[in-house]
Amino acid sequence: MLVIPRRISHQESRPREPNARKAAARIHRLHGEGIAVSEARGSIRLEGEAASYGEKVAAGWTAAGFGFKGVVNDIVVAGVAEERLESPAVSDGLLEGAYFDVVVIGGGVIGSAIARELSRWDLSIALLEKECDVAVHTSSRNDGMIHDGFAAKPGTKKAAYNVRGNRLWEPLCAELGVDFKRPGSLVLFRSPWSAALYPVLADRARRNGVDGWELWSRSRVAAEEPNVVADQHGGFFLPSAGVLSPYKATVALAESAMMNGVRVVLNSCVTGLDMDGGSIARVLTNRGACRAGVVVNAAGNWADVVAGMAGDRFFSLHQRRGTDAILDASTASSQRHILGMPDFLRMHSRTKGGGLVPTVEGNVLVGPTASESPGREDYATRPGELAELEKHIRINGELSMSQVITYFSGVRPCTYEEDFIVEKSDRVANLVHVAGIQSPGLASAPAIAEDAARMAVEIASGFTATRPRSGWRPDGPASPEPRRLSPDGRNALIERNPAYGRIVCRCEEVSEGEIVDAVRSSLPATSLDAIKRRTRAGMGRCHGGFCTPRVMEILARESGVPLWAVTKKGPGSELCVGPTKGARS
Amino acid sequence: MIELKEFTCIECPRGCRLAVRIDSGVATVSGNSCPKGVAWGAQEAVAPMRGLTTTVRIEGSSRRRLPVRASGDMPLSRLLDAMAAIDPVVVRPPVRRGDVVLADLLGLGVDLVATDDLEADAERGAE
Amino acid sequence: MIRRVDTDVVVLGAGPAGLAAACAAIESGARVVVVEREERVGGILKQCVHDGFGVARYGLKLTGPEYALRDADRLASLGAVVMLEAFVSKAERTDGGCRLACVDRSGVVELTAGAVVLATGCRERTDRQVFIHGDRPAGIFAAGLAQYMINVQGLLPGRRALILGSGDIGLIMARRMTLEGMEVLGAHEIKSEPSGLSRNVRQCLDDYGIPLELSSTVTAVHGSRRVTGVTTARVDAAMRTIPGTERDIDCDTLILSVGLIPENEIARSLGVPIDTATKGPKVDQNMHTLAEGVFACGNAVHVNDLADYVSESGETAGRSAAAYAASRLKTGGRAPERRLTPLDAGPGFLYAVPQFVDLAAPRRGELAAFYFRSRATETDGAVVRMSAGGTALLERRYPALRPPEMERFELDTDAIAEAIAEGDTAMPSDRRITLEMGRRSAL
Repeated sequence: MLVIPRRISHQESRPREPNARKAAARIHRLHGEGIAVSEARGSIRLEGEAASYGEKVAAGWTAAGFGFKGVVNDIVVAGVAEERLESPAVSDGLLEGAYFDVVVIGGGVIGSAIARELSRWDLSIALLEKECDVAVHTSSRNDGMIHDGFAAKPGTKKAAYNVRGNRLWEPLCAELGVDFKRPGSLVLFRSPWSAALYPVLADRARRNGVDGWELWSRSRVAAEEPNVVADQHGGFFLPSAGVLSPYKATVALAESAMMNGVRVVLNSCVTGLDMDGGSIARVLTNRGACRAGVVVNAAGNWADVVAGMAGDRFFSLHQRRGTDAILDASTASSQRHILGMPDFLRMHSRTKGGGLVPTVEGNVLVGPTASESPGREDYATRPGELAELEKHIRINGELSMSQVITYFSGVRPCTYEEDFIVEKSDRVANLVHVAGIQSPGLASAPAIAEDAARMAVEIASGFTATRPRSGWRPDGPASPEPRRLSPDGRNALIERNPAYGRIVCRCEEVSEGEIVDAVRSSLPATSLDAIKRRTRAGMGRCHGGFCTPRVMEILARESGVPLWAVTKKGPGSELCVGPTKGARS
Repeated sequence: MIELKEFTCIECPRGCRLAVRIDSGVATVSGNSCPKGVAWGAQEAVAPMRGLTTTVRIEGSSRRRLPVRASGDMPLSRLLDAMAAIDPVVVRPPVRRGDVVLADLLGLGVDLVATDDLEADAERGAE
Repeated sequence: MIRRVDTDVVVLGAGPAGLAAACAAIESGARVVVVEREERVGGILKQCVHDGFGVARYGLKLTGPEYALRDADRLASLGAVVMLEAFVSKAERTDGGCRLACVDRSGVVELTAGAVVLATGCRERTDRQVFIHGDRPAGIFAAGLAQYMINVQGLLPGRRALILGSGDIGLIMARRMTLEGMEVLGAHEIKSEPSGLSRNVRQCLDDYGIPLELSSTVTAVHGSRRVTGVTTARVDAAMRTIPGTERDIDCDTLILSVGLIPENEIARSLGVPIDTATKGPKVDQNMHTLAEGVFACGNAVHVNDLADYVSESGETAGRSAAAYAASRLKTGGRAPERRLTPLDAGPGFLYAVPQFVDLAAPRRGELAAFYFRSRATETDGAVVRMSAGGTALLERRYPALRPPEMERFELDTDAIAEAIAEGDTAMPSDRRITLEMGRRSAL
């Protein structure tokens, strides 16, 4: 694991002519003569050996500063094996011979948002997801913040998509019936020196087109956030920063897409792409091969691997882990805004520094950390990460580490340019890449989806008539949430269906009826984690101690599987091995 | 021959530390706080005996397992055998606490008895 | 239509504490409604198929279900109203007592009562609370959850299990899993002595040759879908892992027995002050919390080792709540006066319950029960002394005191009141009630 070096990025907003000779010289000087530098179809390629993952990533960063289309980093790190994309255990012919005008690879927030945008068109669309649910990876492993767009480097795709996405999320959430709040983000100044940076910060916000910013005095901060105990020198307030539940939003996007004809195929992993001339002819999966008019690569941490399947590996992704901690719901009222106290001396384009986020559900979330570490799906938390979060907790005097109810890690897929890739492939005629969608990817998702869908539709118009779908509806399937109803409304609901009156998760007050709804929905929840993401059952302070057996019973009953075969997160994660009384051989 | 053994008494939550001295087959117990400890310690030194509590399968009910106990202690060394003998036992409602669900377990002279009531319900067992 | 029910006493929870409280309240003449979240009464005892319950209360070694059935039968014969599969969604105190919004399969029920008894039990600490690192594979279970799966659902959670912690439920589960055919690799306890009762170490671990590793902990869990193993490490006196002592162990199950926390979310919403040591409401000898009309008992107040003591505090709470509700009715809604005197437990104690003694209305001729845990293990004859108004009222020598083993004694509250009254003219400090620990010579 490597903490990001302090050195600032070499990336510049002004494009310059790629210069392999200069690049090689610099890479050799900084990272050793052992690294072979070559130019491959517009990208710069690094080969050789590095002693650590950190050194490999650092070499990639250096290579990013020379105006190439991308950095392909094939440096081998001793002891770190190249990761293989593993297919789920399912193997059938579900997709064999099927045809779709557009195949979207990846059911994260990006793929789901793209699928929903595409569903506005009268096209046949499939969304392929290798896991047993959408939003399993990066999309459920982040802080749920819809960034204001101030932190992104002016002129980057990140900056533009973030600001646009921030504006789009609120109406989108209203359509989908997903909670969205705009608490605003308060960047606290840790010294008079950082307070003096205000004109610089304001200039950056202006250049990015951020929707509003204010300079708050020390006393204003104290009045607005009385629990801030850190020695602050005022703050930079960005009212447009919002929060939402990233997995609920992703599920709602996917379900909305399904209501408009998109076929979401879970447990289906792309294993290869059959090329025909300069186009993808067939998409090979563990569930059979299907034909595709257009392919959208929204494969998250595997997007470079998928690009490689099409012979278009012009970039490599590196992985930046982030760990967040969630505090008990009793912390909800302790702060009104998103709070952070970055060290501007240490800040750079690769991290915004983390902070305290009042989540849309009312907990305070702390994080995220940021460290370069191999492992595209390595979510194991590590001891030092929590200690790192403690510095944020100290900002708010009402918070302490003893309030942590859970913590988790996520992995951000990053290019070496540290910017998003949203473009038609320049080598494969029917491929759109949406890759390197690291933070603020969630905030940017609706804007990215608009552009990516437009690109796919442009390609599709070459082989089919592209007309808007008649009867397209913007909403998602709405299920009642009894705890949010008035007593009379709740009573009436329970009288219609008593299952809404049986509380299964007492920490989060989730009823059996809501769990049944999740299992019976168009995108059915088939595991405990999927139920948790949709209903919050098991997410509270007791961590499923009470509700786990009860949710298992409902899942088994509703989906017709034996009780012991219920999984935590899909095949291979069965909670039990069988019934008692049958174990002795 | 004199033999000395030490045990934690399990007769009650107090958990007295017993010292048992066996002299020519005669056990002398010390460290106990009550008379139960004397009997238990003397037995433990020669042939440990244990109670057994477990469950049995249920059919014809929404409940899946019924708690049961052996009506008396049995040799510690036979507990796993007893468990194997209990594996195939299935009860159907209604059952009352105290009902014998398996008589003379392993020929040890103890019965397996229900420790809970099991009423008939409308639902079918879902196992 | 929302149903509205008015009663004298509402009891939240029908485990051993709630059952005893409800019975005692009815026997004291109160109308009682019991709110229980599960489909049957009995609480956690339903899944405790092992025996050892009732030694203090009945002189018998009962299993959990047998113990619970005795109270359930008693309650049934008294004719209490029991709401099953019911949940309190909102609780607030009112001028007349309290108002609760409950939800069950029939709809929303609004309960008003003169007094409420919190018998909500406790919950288990989780792997996240003890900061175990790794991914979150299936196969990590709190001991009580594993107990429910095995004993109630008839499910085998895995094949090879390692236990973290040595609380009683974890020890009981070591034996239970072994009997059901699982391999139990050992119990790892971060402290230098076991947390559970020594008899359970004997009959649940030693009997089956399961090692108890003291000063050892689990630092990481391996596997992303199902547990494939854990890393254990030894710890020093400050509970820091000792580098170089890490050991990788193959297993598919990790059972956690790392402590229990009183459930007090409803207590909080009722504004009941919580003791940071017990993590439960502060109470007086009548199990009356510092919020008027709110009573608490059992593991909601502090985590007990014995169901017998849970029942005892339930009886007290039920009787007191009934008397309180009746008194308010008689006086036209005025709350009876209380004169709360704190019980100061010295540094030798983890905690003592009750934290206050109400001297306004001592129950004539009745003894109040006091419970405490020592902070450390004392094996050379610690002496515990309770004094009031500067007068020693009780002095008892204990051959051994261990934090896992709760101690109990009784005292006449009249005697406390008299001692305080006599000391009243002297220093204000003489109005205190103190609990001290030391050697006889030191005291």
